[in-house]
Amino acid sequence: MELFVDGKRKSLSHRGDISSLLKKLGVRREEVVVKLNGRLAPETAEAGARDKVEVIKVVFGG
Amino acid sequence: MTSAKCSKCGSDSIIFLHYVRRHLCAEHFRQMFEKRFRSTVREFGMIRKGDRIAVGLSGGKDSTVLLRCLHELSDDLPMELVAITVDEGIKGYRSATLDIAKKETKKLGIEHRVVSFKKDVGKSLDSILSKDGSLACSYCGVLRRGLLNRTARDLGADKLAMGHNLDDAAQTVLMNILRNEPERISRFLNPAIKHPSFIPRIRPLLRTPEKEVALYAMARGIRIEHKECPYARFAFRQNVRRQLNEMEESHPGTKFKVLGSFLAMERMMKSAKAQDTELAACSSCGEPSANQLCRFCEMKERIRK
Repeated sequence: MELFVDGKRKSLSHRGDISSLLKKLGVRREEVVVKLNGRLAPETAEAGARDKVEVIKVVFGG
Repeated sequence: MTSAKCSKCGSDSIIFLHYVRRHLCAEHFRQMFEKRFRSTVREFGMIRKGDRIAVGLSGGKDSTVLLRCLHELSDDLPMELVAITVDEGIKGYRSATLDIAKKETKKLGIEHRVVSFKKDVGKSLDSILSKDGSLACSYCGVLRRGLLNRTARDLGADKLAMGHNLDDAAQTVLMNILRNEPERISRFLNPAIKHPSFIPRIRPLLRTPEKEVALYAMARGIRIEHKECPYARFAFRQNVRRQLNEMEESHPGTKFKVLGSFLAMERMMKSAKAQDTELAACSSCGEPSANQLCRFCEMKERIRK
């Protein structure tokens, strides 16, 4: 899996839904939007070895 | 990859709404979002036909989406829109959103006024806080609210629209309970403040979760900036936000319930006792104030010393 968190590439092996990936990353679901292969996707979507996952933080203080 | 499908039409889902256990595609999410926006405006009687609405436009996602939605609503509910941006003077943070605010208002043909701490108070927020960043939110909040109210009044606005969303509202309710400041909660949501200089605030995104505001912007291609205020780490709100988001994850719908509880309590309190807050005028600037000297002037004096 190609994984990017806020534009930075991360290496992490993961199989399963995006929700469990976020847990692994220590990211709160309520604070991010996820793109799967360039398209907006819910956290219930499954991501496999050939997928590109982008986790984008959208909830900020300020 | 396996993709979930929209509960309404079977197209690819872009969001799972945990609090109603429903998937929505981009089109149905947009419809739901705009319907909720309009029903919130109706529910609280926020806008009357012909109102002149000043939008507090920081250029962040919430106020940019707010401006876009109000502009589209004005096709059905005629209103005049003007936008106000307060440049607090935060290096490396405000300039990007200021640029978004300028471009967005130009694109929509909306009058835009930019005011700044530096010009009005004599110092940027960075200079005010050179010694202690922990007071950032206190200074920023008071000065920003003061400048927005005054500028909205100068622009002849009937209402001041703020981009506060459901998360902001739920956080405010909890923060004020945790700090034992119940009178501030009622001022935030539905101020019955009576003063000729006070421009009533409206919050059409009150029932919209923050994440959905961002998703709406992204789904519609509205430019948003992914940056955090450098002073946010000092804020008590940051802790409350984190806790509330963890609660929302384990108990979906928590934020709606916090707001719902507050609104219900407010109704009960109102029926028991009139809640109108009578304000006096500040002895220095004449702005509405609960004290002889308003907090804006108090801070201004402190900054200049």
